[in-house]
Amino acid sequence: MASTKPTTKEILARAAGEPGAPLYNPQALAQIKAGFETWRESSVRPADREAWAQAPATVLGSEIPRNMLYTPLDVADLDYARQLGNSGQAPFTRGVHANMYRGRRFTRRQLAGYGGPEDTNQRIKFLLDHGATGISIIFDLPTIQMYDSDDAIAAGQVGMSGVAIDSVEDMDRLFAEIPLDQVTVSLVTHYPSNSALLFPMFLALAEKRGIPWAALKGSIQNDVTLEEVVRSGPEYIPPRDCFRIQCDNMEFIRRNVPQWNFQTLNGYNLREFGTSAVTEMAVALANLVESLEELIGRGLTADDLGQRAAFFWSIGNDFFEEVARIRAVRRLYGRIMTQRFGVANPRAAWMRCHVQTSGVSLTRSEPLNNVVRAGFHALAAVLGGAQSLHVDSFDEAYSVPTEEAALLSLRTQQIIETETGVCEVVDPLGGSFYLEALTNELESRILDELAEIEQKGGYVAAVESGWLQTRIRDYFHRERERMEKGEIRVVGENAYLSEVKPPEISVFEYPEGVEERMKARLGELRLRRDNAAVEAALKGLEDACRGGANLLPASVQCARVLCSEGEMFKVFKRAFGLWRPPALW
Amino acid sequence: MERKIKVLLAKLGLDVHNRGVITVAKELRDAGMEVVYIGNALPEQIVAAASQEDPDLVGVSSLGGAHLSLGQMLIDQARAAGLAPETVFMIGGVFSPADAQKLKDLGFAGVFPPGSGRDEIVGFVRQAVAASPASV
Repeated sequence: MASTKPTTKEILARAAGEPGAPLYNPQALAQIKAGFETWRESSVRPADREAWAQAPATVLGSEIPRNMLYTPLDVADLDYARQLGNSGQAPFTRGVHANMYRGRRFTRRQLAGYGGPEDTNQRIKFLLDHGATGISIIFDLPTIQMYDSDDAIAAGQVGMSGVAIDSVEDMDRLFAEIPLDQVTVSLVTHYPSNSALLFPMFLALAEKRGIPWAALKGSIQNDVTLEEVVRSGPEYIPPRDCFRIQCDNMEFIRRNVPQWNFQTLNGYNLREFGTSAVTEMAVALANLVESLEELIGRGLTADDLGQRAAFFWSIGNDFFEEVARIRAVRRLYGRIMTQRFGVANPRAAWMRCHVQTSGVSLTRSEPLNNVVRAGFHALAAVLGGAQSLHVDSFDEAYSVPTEEAALLSLRTQQIIETETGVCEVVDPLGGSFYLEALTNELESRILDELAEIEQKGGYVAAVESGWLQTRIRDYFHRERERMEKGEIRVVGENAYLSEVKPPEISVFEYPEGVEERMKARLGELRLRRDNAAVEAALKGLEDACRGGANLLPASVQCARVLCSEGEMFKVFKRAFGLWRPPALW
Repeated sequence: MERKIKVLLAKLGLDVHNRGVITVAKELRDAGMEVVYIGNALPEQIVAAASQEDPDLVGVSSLGGAHLSLGQMLIDQARAAGLAPETVFMIGGVFSPADAQKLKDLGFAGVFPPGSGRDEIVGFVRQAVAASPASV
């Protein structure tokens, strides 16, 4: 389905206005050009001249060719005020705050989640005790896929790769002795559906503890891309309904939990599934644009919404590309919000992001090499001006990180923050001919891909038709080919192979008995609670799903009366029916 | 002419990560095998599909930590259902070296951690199927 609506690219081009004030004067540029050409002919070897532009071959790279040397000629039109601005000034290329890390360091937010809620509570406290400044909760397979611990489908998987949560009582155990109005909490509820089921439990817990919703600070993910494209699962609701739930979450949270980020557009998992640095950001923006249009239709304003939009990026191996692209998307988001949506509040034009270092870029072979890789990824994120950071652990190709490995990840962040001095100067690489040229190139490519999605009928249509899925599949098949051919080289994996076997690392082992404990607890809860209230709340949720109004008030009510996550998801499936995603192979 | 090898692939249980299994599905198909990929499935569903499809090899993927619990159920249920004893089992995903050994002991002839290459996997399938009693 082709769209006749103007694309974001066309809208921004129209809004560009009169030419500005280029930084470099024409006379200097003419001299530089003459000098450069002479140098190129006289000092550069013919082989280097021929191979002048080369694309780095990296895991998850975008294959943008790079010149051997960058000069002012590559950014001849550079207009400081328009394209860069000072930090804290539009278009925010250099950072969303004037003082950036001098004012507030990046949040050291490490993921935690395994076993039952008590187990993860221990890991959270361990990280906070060692200087983590935020927490991030990852849920186990049944919870993320929206089944109860006692569902037959959950057998053998309770507490695996995340924490098991069935009801608000588990949420209470998870946050035992953690002041919810003081610590910022990221709930890694990837999908709109489980965001609409688990976040209400968090809200009901706050009520129970007497904490007003207005005091809560943190974020959920709530991204259709994760539920419908990146996830592999047994059951999917249709993309249009999923998008509606995503927007219901955004609307309800914006109106009722004012300091909470109602959506963290998750490029990370999409990229890690296997896609380029450009597609990761284009898809997130496409979803954002469509969501904003929907919510403006519901009576909210872009000014109000923009203040609570957040992003989550994967930062991988191609160091300068990663720095450049955080800057590029910050500028592009700023332009979209001001020029397309006409926001007046600068906060609404701030691209605020959490970054996780790339997991797919790590290897199982010689696992300690991953410490070095993740260190570079983290440094790129900081040089790009990320608000919050998680560093992957070296042992993640073996299991959930051990306490030792999780601490080393936190220490990596603290060393960058405390010892390297990089936090003292805002946007330290800004103005580099190379970095600015690359920032321009990435912004333009992201905008082109966004236009491509919009021309296909928009974000939801790109998911429904399978276009997006196909694009990802093509990318990762090609990447695998390039790895197999040795075009992409990875140390210890297909390059610099060693005969020496590295020492074995200790590997995390899941606590025992979690499944039995969770099942017993849920069984006891089902007997103890007011089941008439449960039935009434679930009926209310079903009516809300089938009607047009926001379904969150009904799911919050479900959480209050101790409905389980699985019981609520069954309502979604009944009300919306199931969808079959396109086959990807 | 050589008989076409038939492979049944599944994501084990509720694991969300499927890039690996999709990659393997394509590589086995490109190597001339018949591949049936059934997506996320519980052990009993995999056994039921295998009883119907009669593949030479059943491959499952698990990156979410449940490889031992669900792996054990799969092998047990395959035996209980009387699945052809010559059916070869393989598993790919994230496991510790100790768990990799346990999976072999359970009855997975092929165990493929992250970083396993195409030739390694395709080679294993060809060899394992050729060596299993049905092909003799």
